[in-house]
Amino acid sequence: MSRVRAQTSPRFLLFAMLVLFTCESHAHLLNMTELHLDASDPRQARLHVKIDLGQSLMQPEIYWRAVSADAAGQAQLIAPAVAQLARSIVISVDGELVKANLQSWQLEAVSLDAIINPITPQMAELVFALGASFSPEDEVLEVRIDDDFEVPWPALLRVDYAGAPLPVSRLLTASERSSRPISLNGNSAASDSATLAGLALAFQSWAPGLSWLVIGFQHIIPRGLDHIVFVLGLFFLSTRLSTLLYQVSCFTVAHSLSLGLATLGFVAVPASVVEPLIAASIIFIAVDNLHSELLARWRLAVVTLFGLLHGLGFAAVLSELILPAENFYSALLFFNLGVEAGQLTVLLLAFAAVGWLRNWTQYTNRVARPATVTIAGVGAYWLVKRVAFI
Amino acid sequence: MKSINKRREALQTTAGIMLVASSLLVFDVAFSAFEDASLSFPLEGRAVGEFPDQWIHGSKSAMDNTDPAVQIHAYNDHTYILRENKAINYEGAFMYLFFGNGVAMLIDQGSTSSPALFPLREAVDEIILEWETRHNQSNIELIVANSHLHGDHYAAWNQFVDRPNTVMVGLTHEEMMAFWKIDNYPQQIVTYDLGGRELVVTGTPGHQGSELAIYDGWTDLLYTGDMFYRGRLYLDDWDAWVSSIRKLRSIADQNPVAHLVNNHIEMTREPGVDYPIGTTWQPNEPPMQMTLNMLDQAVEATYEIENPGIYHYDDFLIYNQVPWAYTTDP
Repeated sequence: MSRVRAQTSPRFLLFAMLVLFTCESHAHLLNMTELHLDASDPRQARLHVKIDLGQSLMQPEIYWRAVSADAAGQAQLIAPAVAQLARSIVISVDGELVKANLQSWQLEAVSLDAIINPITPQMAELVFALGASFSPEDEVLEVRIDDDFEVPWPALLRVDYAGAPLPVSRLLTASERSSRPISLNGNSAASDSATLAGLALAFQSWAPGLSWLVIGFQHIIPRGLDHIVFVLGLFFLSTRLSTLLYQVSCFTVAHSLSLGLATLGFVAVPASVVEPLIAASIIFIAVDNLHSELLARWRLAVVTLFGLLHGLGFAAVLSELILPAENFYSALLFFNLGVEAGQLTVLLLAFAAVGWLRNWTQYTNRVARPATVTIAGVGAYWLVKRVAFI
Repeated sequence: MKSINKRREALQTTAGIMLVASSLLVFDVAFSAFEDASLSFPLEGRAVGEFPDQWIHGSKSAMDNTDPAVQIHAYNDHTYILRENKAINYEGAFMYLFFGNGVAMLIDQGSTSSPALFPLREAVDEIILEWETRHNQSNIELIVANSHLHGDHYAAWNQFVDRPNTVMVGLTHEEMMAFWKIDNYPQQIVTYDLGGRELVVTGTPGHQGSELAIYDGWTDLLYTGDMFYRGRLYLDDWDAWVSSIRKLRSIADQNPVAHLVNNHIEMTREPGVDYPIGTTWQPNEPPMQMTLNMLDQAVEATYEIENPGIYHYDDFLIYNQVPWAYTTDP
């Protein structure tokens, strides 16, 4: 279906004016592209493309000729642009490409001058039928505009999908041409994990998760004072590097595990329980330091247990932030890596500060012991405060 | 002797632990007495603010413009107004950043996508970081919202999609209304709690079918987006705009209003005369903020205008259903 919106001939002037007043306006006359993938009926999915053809894929004069032509003439004149659009707007569902075939179109323009003037966009609307039927089992959709294809930017993408309570919106720009994976079974991260395909696609877009590395690091330095003090507690047990390595490994594995489980919703312990226990764990480790010189096996088990506890603490912090649905796993991974980087930095700084004194005969009495007493005192302070105020 | 030494050592250790813990507790109690309580945004009274004498307004030669890409203006401690340099995009759109306890809301994201040309995210992050430091808060949430769904107000939206701790409201009507919990657009008037700062939000279509107006009871600012500003008011739906303008008047009747703030300046200081469409230089611009008298003029216009066309008023022009008009010349 096509419809001519205006004619140049004077006898059509009145008609043109009437049509003109029914046209949709374009705010501040910007000609940004709009893509609407409508799969609210999965068997009849459509892609609606609203585009300023006369300012992009067609010469203004040819577009004007098309506007003034009959349906057959229009089809012929817009065919190259249509082929480019069908080829360069790449739609994939669960990794499989979906073919687009032009179904109908509507060309609008009031004059050649208006087409030529960039601040008076004369928009065309093209509707493509999407070859493959969508199905309720579909997991992940991606829409991408080819690198060598230019449209009036940015392009606003709207996706309606059967069963989804809300549409999904994405903005495609000249430098960000992909919608990134869009979960079709709800917007939660859990649905992305339902299949390997979903998981793999979710990880494809891991790069934005990098900023979570910084957030994770910040939750140790400077904001994770209790975790810093705990790690220092592990540091001051012994002068042997292997002792520290065993403890930190157990602690790291354990807190990564509980952080993951808690963030995914498998474990939930209220902060009113976790926070005082974290403080108590600091006192325990410090007091044990004062009575032990060697790493006992039971201590490794206790450190692992405390690691689980501290992981729940990290999860509580993370739950106050907003993990992006489409980068959920990468954000979680990088947050955890940031925490590890923070821990490692604490240990390196501890080595830099007092590590060189470890062979000093008075190290235990003049360095490790006072430091450990301070750590226990700080733990006691937090315990009182957290029991009293949480 | 050994056991006495051990006992003494244990006592010393316990005393040391107690000393550290009690010192910290005493310090904590003393410090908390001086610490800022959470921010409050009372509706009584008015949190005043200031506008700049002159906004950056482009230059004769856009290429030679040396102004910042984003002008940042602190209206008051918790309210920022940003403007895109007209030399980058002729729209010269205004954007707003409202702060509450633990949260900030950015309304609109300008007309240019490229972070190199228009580093909006950088500017917003800078403001937030500075605000957090000043108010002893950290990692506050950012809500990225829009006044309405036109491309000159969301072009830099992508700069925020990978920002941690950020809520992207979305660029469809349904996502917007779901966020604001508006289920009867445009009639419904809702209140939104922005970290203790109460915003009154309602639908104001006419220019665009998803437009919202926001009344901030703390500053008494009434934000009218693109549906009412000093410029060419492009109206798709006259009847809807009539209802919207009258609703704004009714909100202003029921609440004190300090200023009406909005998204563009297109009028010159000469009554009824606008700058040319698409200009990247607007010397001697009038202020962006508007008055209730101007709103009254708009209300009067809703009773005067009956047909599509361009109507001139001192402080705005009404482009009633004339979408393709790109000149005010007869």
